[in-house]
Amino acid sequence: MSTYWRTFKTAAWLGWEMDSNWTEPWLFLIYSIIKPVAGAFILVFMYVVIWSINGIADPQSFAFLYVGNAFFIFVGSTLFGTFQVIQSDREWYQTLRYVYISPISYYVYILGRAFSKILVSIFGVLITLGFGFFFLHVDMRFTPDRIPLFIVSLALGLFVLLAIGITLGAATFLMARHSQTLAEAVPGVFYVFCGVLFPLTILPSWGQSIGTAIPLTYWFEITRRILLPFQYNTGLAAFGDWEILAFLLISTFVFFGLSLGVFRLGEYLARKAGKLDMTTSY
Amino acid sequence: MNEVSARRSDLAFRIALNLRSIRGRAYPRIIGANREPSWIFFEAVLPLLTIAAYVFIYRAIAANQIVNANAETAARILANTNALVASVVLGGAMVAFWLNVLWSMASQLYWEKEIGNLQLYMMAPMNRMALLGGMAIGGVFMTSVRAISTLVAGVLVFGVVFQVADPLMLLAVFFVTLVALYGLGMFFASLYLLWGREAWNVSALLEEPIFFSSGFYFPLGGLFNYGGWGSVVGIVGSIIPAGLGLDALRQLTLGQTAFGGKFWVLSAPVELEILLVLAIGFLVLARYALAYLELLAKREGKLTSRHQ
Amino acid sequence: MAYAVETRDLTRVFAGKKRRFRRKRAASEGDEQLGPVTALDRVSIQIREGELFGLLGPNGAGKTTLIKILATLLLPTSGQAFVAGHDVTKDPFPIRQRINMVSGGETSGYGLLTTRENVWMFSQFYGVPSKVAKQRIDELMHVFGLWDKRDAKVRLISSGQRQKMNMIRGFVTDPDILFLDEPTLGLDVNAARTVRDYVMNWVGRERGKTVLLTTHYMAEADEMCDRIAIIDKGKILACDTPEALKRMIHTQTTFRLEVDPLRDTSTFQGMDGVVNFSLKDDASKNRTELTFILEDEAPVAEILSAITAQGAKVHALRKTEPTLEDVFISMVGRGFE
Ligand SMILES: Nc1ncnc2c1ncn2[C@@H]1O[C@H](COP(=O)(O)OP(=O)(O)OP(=O)(O)O)[C@@H](O)[C@H]1O
Ligand SMILES: [Mg+2]
Repeated sequence: MSTYWRTFKTAAWLGWEMDSNWTEPWLFLIYSIIKPVAGAFILVFMYVVIWSINGIADPQSFAFLYVGNAFFIFVGSTLFGTFQVIQSDREWYQTLRYVYISPISYYVYILGRAFSKILVSIFGVLITLGFGFFFLHVDMRFTPDRIPLFIVSLALGLFVLLAIGITLGAATFLMARHSQTLAEAVPGVFYVFCGVLFPLTILPSWGQSIGTAIPLTYWFEITRRILLPFQYNTGLAAFGDWEILAFLLISTFVFFGLSLGVFRLGEYLARKAGKLDMTTSY
Repeated sequence: MNEVSARRSDLAFRIALNLRSIRGRAYPRIIGANREPSWIFFEAVLPLLTIAAYVFIYRAIAANQIVNANAETAARILANTNALVASVVLGGAMVAFWLNVLWSMASQLYWEKEIGNLQLYMMAPMNRMALLGGMAIGGVFMTSVRAISTLVAGVLVFGVVFQVADPLMLLAVFFVTLVALYGLGMFFASLYLLWGREAWNVSALLEEPIFFSSGFYFPLGGLFNYGGWGSVVGIVGSIIPAGLGLDALRQLTLGQTAFGGKFWVLSAPVELEILLVLAIGFLVLARYALAYLELLAKREGKLTSRHQ
Repeated sequence: MAYAVETRDLTRVFAGKKRRFRRKRAASEGDEQLGPVTALDRVSIQIREGELFGLLGPNGAGKTTLIKILATLLLPTSGQAFVAGHDVTKDPFPIRQRINMVSGGETSGYGLLTTRENVWMFSQFYGVPSKVAKQRIDELMHVFGLWDKRDAKVRLISSGQRQKMNMIRGFVTDPDILFLDEPTLGLDVNAARTVRDYVMNWVGRERGKTVLLTTHYMAEADEMCDRIAIIDKGKILACDTPEALKRMIHTQTTFRLEVDPLRDTSTFQGMDGVVNFSLKDDASKNRTELTFILEDEAPVAEILSAITAQGAKVHALRKTEPTLEDVFISMVGRGFE
């Protein structure tokens, strides 16, 4: 267990170093914040534009999408983080083979690297939310009695994310060239189908079915129930808070189990196909 | 000099040399599109997800706005929403070019240095602009395939209607926008030679902020109407040729009167003129930046060193 | 007559490495801050047209630096260099038309293209008409034994095959002056033989084709080169035909000894009659090979007794004909490999 812990810590530190060592820490922080904030601003202006074109305000929809987008920063960075570890190690540093043949568990190594990404993205989320609350007057509320529920749901949400990320990361062993595509496609699918920016009800019914099958949908639902002071018809009202939490917990276990399996399989197949240290420059 | 080593260096030869170089450098990109068809499929379809997300946002808000509206207002809202959806689809297709400029033009020379090609290029007699030109033409081809697929898919999936009154003007705007965009990419390519791993991060940093300030997903006029810092951001975003280009393309495909005609930055012909200036300006800048940086790199021994 | 390559007091200094990170770093990285390196120090050489000229020197001697300056990839710090009669600093275009360069272990081109397409692409940068280029490529592919990999994607071929492709890339533009930087690096015995033969034949076949070659293989340099310059720490120590170089130390005597590993070799340093010596460990046999360049045979007895005094056994003792390596040892006091 202690070796795993050491590996995890080392990997988290390594991830931070690799991501940030190209510049000074304060520049890196600004960099980590500018991307998500600019992303939020696209949405803000989409709202501003449709509001001023049609002359009708809709602050509830705006709060809905603003909060959803802020929390989506976690999704992007966690998923991208786990993909990128395998991808960049292979293509850029060409160190994957050394990391891989060393006795430390690569699985824990990836977890550690992803963890450092989550830590950085917390800044992005907090800044985005804070900016929205103080400057854009996004209709949010945060009462102390909701803190325990919030922490539990956040932790569960992040666990599910990590587990999904690793499951898909394992798949990148199988598709050297496509992992970048996968890294963008999966968050893209979540962005559209998990009720992040708009209620599921706006999707065609097959889209709604996809949405209700993805655990993240419920995470966004409960997060918004905690943070928004109004009821918004999302089509998920039938699920109680505890039901959602239980569902997230189960999903976490399922995906971690799945990830272990896919990871083993991917590793085995990759070794068999000789893809472990393949580079694809062109 | 004996017979063997006599070499031509007249103008006709130089033109042929540089045309061949352009073709040579464009080749791997064009052939790349054929060789990895599955990959191209993904790259064409992926942007649809982002487009879908933004389309549904507009539709969701419009659905709320329409609830208490009278028939006349409802019709206006519907028309506006369709125009917004069309704007998103257009922007989503143009994003492919911007990403290509960032990742396959700007960071390309740096990348070539890393994999060891740059010194072989710099040792050859071709003009350096031919090298960049080849990269750009290959990139335009590769990306056009992708952008057009995205556009067609977007039109089909979201039922977008375009009305083109002036196809020639539309083509001119599109073409000049691309030249200006790739001219900017060439300029960046030279600058990136100065940087090391920062290059990757600079490109990453020029994604969302540019999507925002160039109005990829909403009419750029929205920024200018906001006044104050909105205009400042909008002006910065207009320097990236995609900003004005998209604005003009939207005017030419949605009609001047869309959004009540109040969300355009300038009229399309004026925008075309500015784009022309930008195109020429960036190409000239690229030419001098590259010459200067080549000299600098040759002096410091950075043209060839791999992994600093 | 103009020389194919001529340098006059060519000097190249690399500035000390700037520290990349202003952040506090481990001490080891701080120490890496090197002072300026003089890679070439007033180098003056003349290479005639049609000559196969070798550059011989240990790692870091400045060979690659010289080639890069001649290939217009690097500017001299001071001094001048002319290729095909043109100044590398002022007039690169006509030079670039006439040269090409192949380095051992280089990666060139795009993994997505086939070997043939890659070479074709590079030929276009020299304005070679496609038809001509394709014809030459096919011929060269046969010569270098890459024909069966002509349609293989570059990312899937071995590093030796890649090196063969690089050689073809070098010849396909039909240069007048070819720079070969360790061209046989990573090639198997047969392939290296093919490359050597082809290069020697190419230089000899047509008048006016010049090759500047660097290598670490003494025998290769000895066999191939018309003339050789020995370079160390950026300075040219000698420049002549291989025979003349060997004759330079002909009055001296070369002895090779195979002995048990020695604790202390400093006693040989000041010995009377020892011009220079080098030692090379053979780990597999747990022996050391000593090479002595002596003024005459007189010190041999003293050397032997110094070795036995350390309790080491002498397994073999040979007097040999001088090789290029001995020339180098005699001049620099260091072996090669
Ligand atoms: N781009 C550079 N920046 C700084 N120093 C350099 C650079 N290129 C070479 N050097 C230094 O110049 C010296 C000569 O290097 P060069 O590559 O010419 O040696 P070489 O004779 O080719 O060696 P090898 O046999 O190992 O290939 C070395 O000390 C090297 O560290
Ligand atoms: Mg070298």
